[in-house]
Amino acid sequence: MDEIELRLRGLMLAALAGEAGPYRQLLDELSARLRAYYSRRVPPGLDAEDLVQETLIAVHTRRATYDPGQPFTAWAYAIARYKLIDGLRRARLHLKAPLDDADELFVPPGAEAAMAGRDLERMLGRLSPRTQALIRDVKIAGLSTREAAEKHAMSESAVKVAVHRGLKALGAEYGGAVDED
Amino acid sequence: MKTDDLIQGLSRDLKPTPRGAAAGRLALGLGAGALVSTALMVFWLRPRPDLTDALGTPMFWVKFFYAALAGLLLSLAAGRLSRPGVRLGGLAVAVGLPFALMGTMGAMRLALAARESWHELLMGHSADVCPWNILAIGLPLLAGAIWAIRGLAPTRLIAAGLAAGGAAGALSALIYGFHCPETAAPFVAIWYTLGIALVAALGGVLGARLLRWR
Repeated sequence: MDEIELRLRGLMLAALAGEAGPYRQLLDELSARLRAYYSRRVPPGLDAEDLVQETLIAVHTRRATYDPGQPFTAWAYAIARYKLIDGLRRARLHLKAPLDDADELFVPPGAEAAMAGRDLERMLGRLSPRTQALIRDVKIAGLSTREAAEKHAMSESAVKVAVHRGLKALGAEYGGAVDED
Repeated sequence: MKTDDLIQGLSRDLKPTPRGAAAGRLALGLGAGALVSTALMVFWLRPRPDLTDALGTPMFWVKFFYAALAGLLLSLAAGRLSRPGVRLGGLAVAVGLPFALMGTMGAMRLALAARESWHELLMGHSADVCPWNILAIGLPLLAGAIWAIRGLAPTRLIAAGLAAGGAAGALSALIYGFHCPETAAPFVAIWYTLGIALVAALGGVLGARLLRWR
């Protein structure tokens, strides 16, 4: 700890004197330590790298508040912690519940799945029977390409191409992005 | 933006940072506020008519040094609380010193006085306006202090606001002493201190909101 303090404080004093090289080195080392510090502490939805950058900017714009008579590590840590608390506070403020209809809570059990199933049948109905069957087997039943190829007596690459074209056709028809994996 | 690019940008064109820049900013904020507060005292409240005579009395200087010492210690505390990672240490105790001294002086004055004069010593002629006047002429000082500290890096916002308000209140009391003709130590110990406390409390409340920085 003392060794780190001594080295970082030396870099900071050089930076306050206007030396860009040591300052760069200081910011590099700080960013690595900040990344480790934040990544273990931020909740999902908050970007650790954003906090790293904000803290580096704060260190830069408020470097005049470093008193050379005081420990540098305590100064940098206090800024990092302040930024973490500020980030957590903002994340909490920005968490908003989406506005739904009352129906969303009181949909009959199974209704959502049934509706999605009906939509799927209608969409697949526009494809050729063989493509329909392939998409059902590979994308819904979860057969591997090889299993589907054996079942339909096709080559694996033909299955891949047919599924790909079918999904593409559906994407074009319904205007949404189709997950091809 | 990538962090490496950010570091590159920040370290390019680095200029030397003058020593004492942080303390200078706080002094500038409080100094500018003191000018406005003095103008308020001179043109609104008016200096006491017997000011030249009063300068020769000990009690004028007791009030002056009480407020000056409190203002100095609280300004130092506000300065420390504007720097990340700096502890108040002994200063946390020391800021209580002028208040303890003034309180002791007021209590001794009462103990030595006859009961009949207690009301006069405690209430004087302006107890009802004294704390409010100190609050009013403390506002420009508080504004100056908050402006200064916002540009530094306080991490304990309420504590920093309390210290800033206390410093503003004490300097306001110092300026108010040139208007106020009260001379009893018990009066000063109670009503001046209450005025300082009002500005400090306002500073604490405002600090939590206004001292936040990004």
